Amino acid sequence: MSFRYGVEQERDWNALTDEEFRAIVRAEFEANYPTELRYAPRRLRWHETKDWYLRMAAKGWIAPNWPVEYGGMGLSPAKLLIFHEETERWGIGRYQDHGTLMLGPVLIRWGTEEQRRKYLPDVLACRSIWCQGYSEPGAGSDLASLGTRVVLDGDEFVITGQKIWTTLAQDATHMFLLARTDPGAKKQEGISFLLLDLAQKGVRVRPIRDIAGHEEFCEVFLDEARTHVSNLVGELNRGWTVAKSLLGFERIHIGSPRMPEYGLTVLKRVAEARGVWDDPLFRDKYFALALDVQHLADAYNHFTAIVIRGEPLGQDVSYLKIWATETFQRIADLTVETAGPFAAVKGDVRLNDTTVNVLASFYKARPPTIYGGTNEIQRNILAQQVLGLPRR
Amino acid sequence: MSAAASTPHVSAEPETLALLRHSVAGLARFDGQRIRAWRDRSPGFDRALWREMASQGWFAIPVPETEGGLALGIEAAAIVAEQLGRACLPEPYVMAGFLGPMLLAQSTNEAARRELLPDVLSGETVLAPAWQSADGGISPSTPGVFARPDADGFVLSGESRFVVPAEADIYLALAHDGDGLLVAAVERRDVRMLRQEPGPDGVSTAWLGFQDLRVPKSRLLMSGEAVAARVQAALDHAVIVQSAELCGLMQRALEMTLDYLRTRRQFGAPIGSFQALQHRAVDLFIQQELARHATGTAVRAAANATDCRVLSRAASSAKARAAHAALLIATQSIQLHGAIGFTDEYDLGLYVNRIVRLAASFGNAAEHRRRFAAASAET
Ligand SMILES: Cc1cc2nc3c(=O)[nH]c(=O)nc-3n(C[C@H](O)[C@H](O)[C@H](O)COP(=O)(O)OP(=O)(O)OC[C@H]3O[C@@H](n4cnc5c(N)ncnc54)[C@H](O)[C@@H]3O)c2cc1C
Repeated sequence: MSFRYGVEQERDWNALTDEEFRAIVRAEFEANYPTELRYAPRRLRWHETKDWYLRMAAKGWIAPNWPVEYGGMGLSPAKLLIFHEETERWGIGRYQDHGTLMLGPVLIRWGTEEQRRKYLPDVLACRSIWCQGYSEPGAGSDLASLGTRVVLDGDEFVITGQKIWTTLAQDATHMFLLARTDPGAKKQEGISFLLLDLAQKGVRVRPIRDIAGHEEFCEVFLDEARTHVSNLVGELNRGWTVAKSLLGFERIHIGSPRMPEYGLTVLKRVAEARGVWDDPLFRDKYFALALDVQHLADAYNHFTAIVIRGEPLGQDVSYLKIWATETFQRIADLTVETAGPFAAVKGDVRLNDTTVNVLASFYKARPPTIYGGTNEIQRNILAQQVLGLPRR
Repeated sequence: MSAAASTPHVSAEPETLALLRHSVAGLARFDGQRIRAWRDRSPGFDRALWREMASQGWFAIPVPETEGGLALGIEAAAIVAEQLGRACLPEPYVMAGFLGPMLLAQSTNEAARRELLPDVLSGETVLAPAWQSADGGISPSTPGVFARPDADGFVLSGESRFVVPAEADIYLALAHDGDGLLVAAVERRDVRMLRQEPGPDGVSTAWLGFQDLRVPKSRLLMSGEAVAARVQAALDHAVIVQSAELCGLMQRALEMTLDYLRTRRQFGAPIGSFQALQHRAVDLFIQQELARHATGTAVRAAANATDCRVLSRAASSAKARAAHAALLIATQSIQLHGAIGFTDEYDLGLYVNRIVRLAASFGNAAEHRRRFAAASAET
C-alpha cells in the first residue's frame, strides 16, 4: 500500500511484553498529561483537550485500536485493553473521539478505499472531529423508528430531520448518521449510514445544558443538508447492519470497571474526611460495593479474554453494562450519603482537610444507565435472547 | 421528661388548613423560567415574592398571637412547605420563614423580640439561623461558634456553615459559652462571609466567620439552661416541615414522570405500558406514600409532643423516609425519562436538584436513621 495514513509507528507494540508496553504508556501519560485535566468532573471540550490530543496524533497514538496500515497503533486486543486501562487509570479526559472509536472501525470494515483515504488521515491528525447522529426526539430506545429523511438530488443526498443528544456536536466538524433512505421499507430496512460535513448552511447545532450545568450534548437540526452520494457507507438501506456491528464493542467499553473503581476512591476520600472510614457500619457498606466492583472486574476479564482470543461476544455482554453502571450509581449514592451536608454543595467542596467534588459522582453516574442502550433495553435483551424467555 | 415543643399547642381548624392550602397553591405557582433566572445569582431568591409570602401571614404561623403571630401550629407550616415544594420554589421558607421566626418569637429578650419580629413578619428583614458548624454535624449541641462574656455582653468567635439564606439581614447565631448555648442576633455587616457555597439548586449557603465579634446584651436572644432543648425542638420542627417540602417536591416529580410514561411512545406504544416500567412506577409511588404518612405522623406528634425525645424521633423518622424517597424518585425519574430527564431545559431537573439539596441538608436519611436509632435506644 503506497498511501500513507497518519504517522509511522515507533515500533511494533505487540512484540513487547504486556509489562513493557504498560510501562511505556504509563510513562508517557504520567509525564505529559496536564495534571489539572485529570479526572475532570465533566466531559472536557476540544479547546481544553486539544493540546494533548494533537500530541497523541503527532506520536501516532491517536488511534490505538486501528491497524498499523491505516495509521493506528495496531494493538492486539490485550495491548489495547492495557492502553484503555492506563488511560482510565490516569484519569485522561476524552475528547469527542467517535472518529477513532467508531468511524475508523466502520470505514475500515465497510467503507470504500476512497472513503478511507478521504476521511481517515484527517481523523488521525485531529483535523476532523466526528459526532454520532443516531438518536432523534422520537427515536431513542426504538432507534429503528428514526425519521430523518433523505432524497436524492443528482449526485447528492439531501437530508432533513433532527438529531438529538449528539455528544459534543458543538466541537464536531462531521457527523456520521443514520437516516431513512426508503420510507416504504420495514423499519430497519430503509435506513442508511451516511457521512456529513457539518460546515454547511443546512446544519444548525444547539448545545443542550444538562442538570449538572454542563453542555455535553446537542440538538442538530438538518434542513436540506447535503452530502455527496459517495458518502454512503455500506450499501443503500443497509445502514442498520453497519451501525449494529459497533454495539458489542460499546457494551464492553461501558462495562469496564474503571468508572466504579474511580467512584470508590472518591468515596474513600469522603469517608476519611468525614471520619467514618474506620466505622464498621461504613466498612460493611463500602466493602459490599468494593466486592461488587471486584466481581465486575472478574466478569469483565472473562469478556475481554473472549475479545483477546478474537472470538465474537455474545448477547450476554449486556449484563456487564448493567452491573458496571448500576454499581457506579450505588457508589455515587453512598458517596452522597456519606458526605452528609457536603452533598448540598455543588462543585469542589472543602471537607475538613480534603477538597472533593462530591456531586460529580452523583451526576456522572446518571447517564450511563441511559446511553449505549438503556439498562431496561439491556434487560430485555438478556431476558429474551440469553435466558430465552418468551416475548409478549 | 423535659418540656420541649416550641410551637404553641394550637391545632388549626381543618377548614382553616384547607383554605391555607388553597391560598398557598394560588400564590406559589411553578415557574421554571423564574427559578432558572434566580440560580447562582445573589441573593438566590426574590425579595418581592418574599414580602408577598409574608403578607399572606405564612411567617406568622409559628408565632404566638401575643407577638403578632397567627399561632397556627406545625400542621399549617407543613401545608405551606408542601405546596412550596410542589412549586419547587427556591425561597428559603423553612429556614427564614419558619425556623427563624419561631426562634425569634421564643426569645426571652422582649425588647429584641419587639424590635425585630414585626419586620420579620412583614418580610422586610430576612433571618437565617446559623447553627451548624463547619464539619457539618447535625446536633446543635456543638455549634462552631464560641461565646465568651465581656463587659456588656459577649464576644463571638468561630465559624458557622451551611447557613440559609446566605445573604440574610440578620443571622441567628447559635454559640456555646462553656456552660450552655445561647442565640444572638447578628447583623450581616458584622460577620465575615468566608465563602458562599453554591448549591445544586442554584441557591448558595453561607460559610460565616465570627472574629471576636462583640454582641451587646441587647442582641442576646436567649441564654441559659433551657436553650439547648428549645433550639433542638425548633430544629426538629424545622426538619419535619422540611420533610413536608420534600413530599411536595417528590409528588410533582413523580407526577411528571407518570405523565411522561403515559405520553412518550417507543416501539409503537406508550412506554408506560411496559410492565417493567409500571412496576418501577409503583415502587416509587409506595415510597411517596410512605413519606407522606411518615411526615403526617411526625406533624401530629410535634403538635402534641411534650417530650423532646418523642419529638426528635418523630422528626428523624419523617426526614429519614422523606429524604430517601425523594432521592429515589428523583434518580429513577431521570432513568424513566431517558436522556431528556438529564437536561436542564426539562423541568424535572429543577426538582431533582432541589431534592438533592434538601435531602442533604438538615441531616440526610442516614444521619436521621442513626439519630432515630440513638433516640430509640434510650427509651
Ligand atoms: C449523556 C448522553 C449522551 C448521549 N450521546 C449520544 C450521541 O452521541 N449520539 C446519539 O445518537 N445518541 C446519544 N445519546 C442518546 C441515547 O442513545 C438515548 O438516550 C437512549 O437511546 C435512550 O433513548 P431516549 O433517551 O429517547 O429514552 P426512551 O427510549 O424514550 O426511554 C425512556 C424510558 O423508557 C424505557 N424504555 C423504552 N423502551 C422500553 C422497553 N421496550 N421496555 C422497557 N423499558 C423501555 C427506557 O429504558 C427509559 O427508561 C446520549 C444520551 C445521553 C444521556
